[in-house]
Amino acid sequence: MMRKFLGPVVLNVFAWTTILAVAFPLFWMLVTSVKPQSELFRRPPTMLPESWTFEHYWHLLSQTNFLVYFRNSVMLSTVTTLLVVTVATLGAYSLVRFRYRGRESLAFMVLFTYLLPSVVLIIPLYLMLVSMGLSNTLFSLVIAYTTFALPYALWLMRSFMAGVPDDLEYAAMVDGASRMGAFVDVILPQLLPGIISTALFTFILSWNEYLYALVLVNSDEARPLTTGVMNMLISSFNIEWSLLMAASVMMSVPLIIVFAFLQSYLTRGFGAGAVKG
Amino acid sequence: MPAPIQSPLERRYARLGLLLIAPTVLIFCAVIIYPLVSAIYLSLFRVFTPTLESSWVGLSNYRELLASGVFWKALWNTLIWTAGTLTLQIVLGIGMALVLHQNIWFRSLARSLILFPYFISTVVAVLVWKWVFNDLYGILNHLLMRGGIIDMPIDYLGSMPNAMISVILVGAWKYFPFVVIAVLARLQTIPEPLYEAARIDGAGPIARFFDVTLPQLRDVLVVIIMLRAIWDFKEFDLIWLLTGGGPSSSTETLPIVVYRQAFALNQMGMAAAWAVSMMAILLVFMIVYIRRTREKETA
Repeated sequence: MMRKFLGPVVLNVFAWTTILAVAFPLFWMLVTSVKPQSELFRRPPTMLPESWTFEHYWHLLSQTNFLVYFRNSVMLSTVTTLLVVTVATLGAYSLVRFRYRGRESLAFMVLFTYLLPSVVLIIPLYLMLVSMGLSNTLFSLVIAYTTFALPYALWLMRSFMAGVPDDLEYAAMVDGASRMGAFVDVILPQLLPGIISTALFTFILSWNEYLYALVLVNSDEARPLTTGVMNMLISSFNIEWSLLMAASVMMSVPLIIVFAFLQSYLTRGFGAGAVKG
Repeated sequence: MPAPIQSPLERRYARLGLLLIAPTVLIFCAVIIYPLVSAIYLSLFRVFTPTLESSWVGLSNYRELLASGVFWKALWNTLIWTAGTLTLQIVLGIGMALVLHQNIWFRSLARSLILFPYFISTVVAVLVWKWVFNDLYGILNHLLMRGGIIDMPIDYLGSMPNAMISVILVGAWKYFPFVVIAVLARLQTIPEPLYEAARIDGAGPIARFFDVTLPQLRDVLVVIIMLRAIWDFKEFDLIWLLTGGGPSSSTETLPIVVYRQAFALNQMGMAAAWAVSMMAILLVFMIVYIRRTREKETA
């Protein structure tokens, strides 16, 4: 009886200790971002802020370029996601449902590029975009981001597409719909959850990208959040940790929203492409 | 094998299929295939980045690279980083998946908390850990000193072997959730009768793990290990942002050298040679992985 009660308690205590240890750095980020400057360097440090303040957030939004970076990131990730998901949906439909020569090789080309390291592409891409006069623009980043986002989205969409039963499409066509009509009326609605999770993954991937942004953009007008915030660390004389933690929290806001409302789509994406491979 | 195309309708469908894949193929050629080929071509030149003045040098970039100790040092660093962080990711990932598979309190909250590090930006992860690692005001040094584990604050990122260990640990923290989710999904599909049979045979929890769980996880683990090995091998952001390759190039992995050659030392041709060599090594893993996936699909 005792053992039956104690077992779960021990398990839970152990489990939650580990989980909280893993989550601790994120908790610490939140705590640091709302501590007043005077409390930040106190020894011993306070685990929960004695007094709360949002001055760092205010400072971040009013006196730094953060909002410009944020806007750039939103635009960049949205455009990349729309472009990539549209192209990938059509491409995946073609790869899964049509028969033509070279289809198999194309599918494995996608997988190959999905695994390709960015540093190999970045040198020629840099030269290419500079010679086209596109450096320091958001558009150059959209182009660069498709190099990793498109293979990724295609690979994911391909396995979602394979999960939509053939019969539906044929049934619609027997009823007189054209092939594309059947695609729009029958397949797209079935595919919607897959499209949403692909879009989320693509968006997060673009939102978090750092290397291309570092190389291709060197002006504050076109800098996205990743390099922008990192610049705040490098360029400041004495590092304002509260400000940086506030920036980190703000930068994670879209992610927190996704986690709160759309988490099932994220795990679905995992199951589909990322792992089954 | 696809059947030979015959009827007009099938031919029309094939054309439609090609039309639908056309945007993908065009984009692939423009932003992936063309740069990939020019990277290889570029590696045969000596290029000075600011002026883009270039001269043909043939394979001498590769000769110089392979003869220099820097390449082998960087390769060694890359292997240590990959092996270290991958091992931790797998062990922690399996462990945490087993825990989350149990009926613990607030399981979905627990899963979210574990998943979070994987999805945050590397920039955020690095900033947070730099603050945690801070030698004067960092919470980690404080906790370790109060716990009596260390007497003096540790310099986590500025000395060796601490820097490599720290990078490996942060990498494990950031990427182990991937393993957790993948393993957890597989755990949920292991048929319960297998465990009951093992229990009847008198197997304890540990024996059950090794005799039932692990063999069932084998396939998914192979895939995870290959994927994560490829991704860890080519990791740039995390290491670059945490240590910049330092102290004195002791955490300098291959992707970091490529970046430095191209954009700090302004040797684009040499950088391309580094990148191509790195890709050649990675190609071994990639081919193994692609082969395996192909076999699975045709099976």
